[in-house]
Amino acid sequence: MHRHFFVLFSLLIGAQPALAWLTPPAMHEPAGIEPPATLPYRLDETGGIEKPCSNDHPEWRDAQTIDGLEIAASPMCEPDNPYDIAVSVKGTNNVSMHTLMQTHFAQDALIKTDDLDGDGDPDVIRIKLEVTELNGQSPDGEFLINTFPIAPGIEPGLWVYSPKMVGMGVKHFNSLVANPILRAPSPVIRVEQGDKVYITLENTHYLPHTIHLHGVDHPWLNSEGKDNDGVEEHPVFPGQNHTYEIQTRHAGTMIYHCHVQTAQHMMMGLTGMIIVEENRPNNWLQTFNIGAGHVRHPSVAIKEKFNREYDLVYQSIDKRLASIVQGANDPRLIAQRMNREYNMTESFENYFLLNGRSFPYTLRDGIIVAEENEHIKLNLVNAQRSAAAIHFHGHKATIMAYDGVKAAEGSQITRDVFDITPAQRLDLDLYTKNDGLHSYGPGLWMFHDHVVTGTTTDGLEPGGNMSILAYRHLLDAQGMPHMHDEMFDQVFTKNYYEKKLPAWGSGEYGDALGEAGMLAPDYVRIAGFGLAVGLLLGVIIFIVVALNRKLSQ
Amino acid sequence: MTRQNFIPRIQKLSSASLCLLLLAAASPPSTAMMKHGNMMMDETGMIMNANADNLPRDCKEISEDVDIVIRAGHEHAQKFPGKMFAFDRQEWDVKPCSRINITFINDDQIRHQMMIHGLPGYLYPDGMVHLELYGQGELKASLIVPSRPKTYLVHCEIPQHMEKGMKAQLKVDGGDGDLPSIPGISEPVTPDVYPVAWSQTTWIALIVSLTIGLAAPIIGGIWLNKRLQAKQLSAKDSA
Repeated sequence: MHRHFFVLFSLLIGAQPALAWLTPPAMHEPAGIEPPATLPYRLDETGGIEKPCSNDHPEWRDAQTIDGLEIAASPMCEPDNPYDIAVSVKGTNNVSMHTLMQTHFAQDALIKTDDLDGDGDPDVIRIKLEVTELNGQSPDGEFLINTFPIAPGIEPGLWVYSPKMVGMGVKHFNSLVANPILRAPSPVIRVEQGDKVYITLENTHYLPHTIHLHGVDHPWLNSEGKDNDGVEEHPVFPGQNHTYEIQTRHAGTMIYHCHVQTAQHMMMGLTGMIIVEENRPNNWLQTFNIGAGHVRHPSVAIKEKFNREYDLVYQSIDKRLASIVQGANDPRLIAQRMNREYNMTESFENYFLLNGRSFPYTLRDGIIVAEENEHIKLNLVNAQRSAAAIHFHGHKATIMAYDGVKAAEGSQITRDVFDITPAQRLDLDLYTKNDGLHSYGPGLWMFHDHVVTGTTTDGLEPGGNMSILAYRHLLDAQGMPHMHDEMFDQVFTKNYYEKKLPAWGSGEYGDALGEAGMLAPDYVRIAGFGLAVGLLLGVIIFIVVALNRKLSQ
Repeated sequence: MTRQNFIPRIQKLSSASLCLLLLAAASPPSTAMMKHGNMMMDETGMIMNANADNLPRDCKEISEDVDIVIRAGHEHAQKFPGKMFAFDRQEWDVKPCSRINITFINDDQIRHQMMIHGLPGYLYPDGMVHLELYGQGELKASLIVPSRPKTYLVHCEIPQHMEKGMKAQLKVDGGDGDLPSIPGISEPVTPDVYPVAWSQTTWIALIVSLTIGLAAPIIGGIWLNKRLQAKQLSAKDSA
């Protein structure tokens, strides 16, 4: 009897490995004749679809006159607040209280006085800038505060210079969203050649910073004999202020940036464009272009030659660097992680911004609006870590100036890719004449960095600094491009940028190129495998116990 | 800075408006501010929703006048490791229906605010009183608090100022608890993590404790065993 049992068990034991080998279930398996079906495209169920244009302030788009000041129409989705422009042009001291109250400028943010040369515009300009952290951390819970999403659901830590403001830094008292005056990029600053300009940095941030006026004619020391170059060894510490003084002899498109822990602080967003405009009579300049983009009150010299003017600030973000400010609250820990633990030589650029936003948000306030046969002035600055190669579809623009210096007639090159290394500036003339060279005709033409990473958001297309050059009649009443509704549904969704949605999941080819489904589990095989392995283990235990008994008898 | 701006501007004004300005400059600062609805403002700062006269619905009269001086700035954060900005005090406790007369002083060269939140909206729009100084200086404003015990948030709302230490609480009648992350008073909800300073001593302390813990039952067991044996022996003896 015992012997028979032993024979049976031995046979079973011998069969086990063979059985197990035949049916091991796996997480991934080859499909048979029929691969799994395409998953249904579940855009509606995943939620988080945003309206392409919130249309909060349609009245801001019209051409208008505020305090006697003409402000051009700006028919895009989110144009600048025209009252911000009125204050930026006239100064906080020369506008009505009603106008000032429509903005968030502090009453001493921009003081314009003294027509020194008697040509009808103020020549002593006092600008006050603060340093603001966007998408910052809070010790009061797992949330970010003063949020500024650069694309749906993407909120990297950012630092910006911001015009001195008053009141709440959030939209309203129970919101976490940053007040619209607090945004990337740092504002474009315009001053007139020969003006006495005092730029005061009031450091409201918790780390030291400076302002270095790169390319702007400035003495090495200010009138008090103190640092005027904004360099590392003269940091302005938290709670302190410092005034930089300029009276420029040379006009041109320049750049300003923080020069403390320069690599990290520039990459965090402390870089902006500063443009010295040529001196002209009655030249009231728009000192701040908040969020860059369309200049709705261009200078006299620009109006002589151009129909429109746009400021284009290209900027990139390393998501690891940006997350440091969101991972600790103690400034000592942030400084340690940013200055010593983070290694810029091992860094990547993950997000690419045009005027503070990545596609599709660039469509809201970062588009160029054009009509046919116009000369459009474009001022470009590269505030990225790496070089950019800006390309306009359907157009060849002409370089007017390099780094704020006019190019000689013969070297004003017309081309369709503009290489621009970090900190460089280009002044372009985009001529919308449909002649097959300057323009191929009206359209909704893309423009973007042609370095391939530049059109991605953390590697995902379409994203990055992609935007459009839109001919006016091809925009709808809300300033959004026609013919793109299907794409809008997809990209104005944070799930898309969390990489949860396929690029071609909907439409005619949705089945062919959507998300492949999964194989159904083969329960017969799984049960067989489970039983076999279980049996094997049981037999081994039985034998061990039986042998043990026999030996101890 | 403000004074310097002021002088060239005065020179440009006509004599009539100059007289008006001088009159305004002669009177106390709070009345020199221009009033816009519930807001007073000038080139040095602003006050919103101050209220020295209107009683909350649940108060029959002002119970007492409390004068509070609140200083703001980096120097007040120096006693709190890991903070950058702070008020000089983090807590005040007042009687129900008190009138609080605040003197807000900014010791920094930048903007600071003192906001009080959670007040009744029918007296204080958005439930807040808001004092803001554009630089070094001083502002005065009053408010009257309701009667029920409550803790009100006092903070500077400039991005990262409250987060980096500029947070305090105003308790009426003992308040209804502490708010989180008030320097020196309450823990943050999401605290920072720091390394612990492990040294040779720390390791020795751990090893000694481990050894004692291990030895205790062994020694105890031996001792107990001996006693049991002794008992059994004496039992045998007596038998």
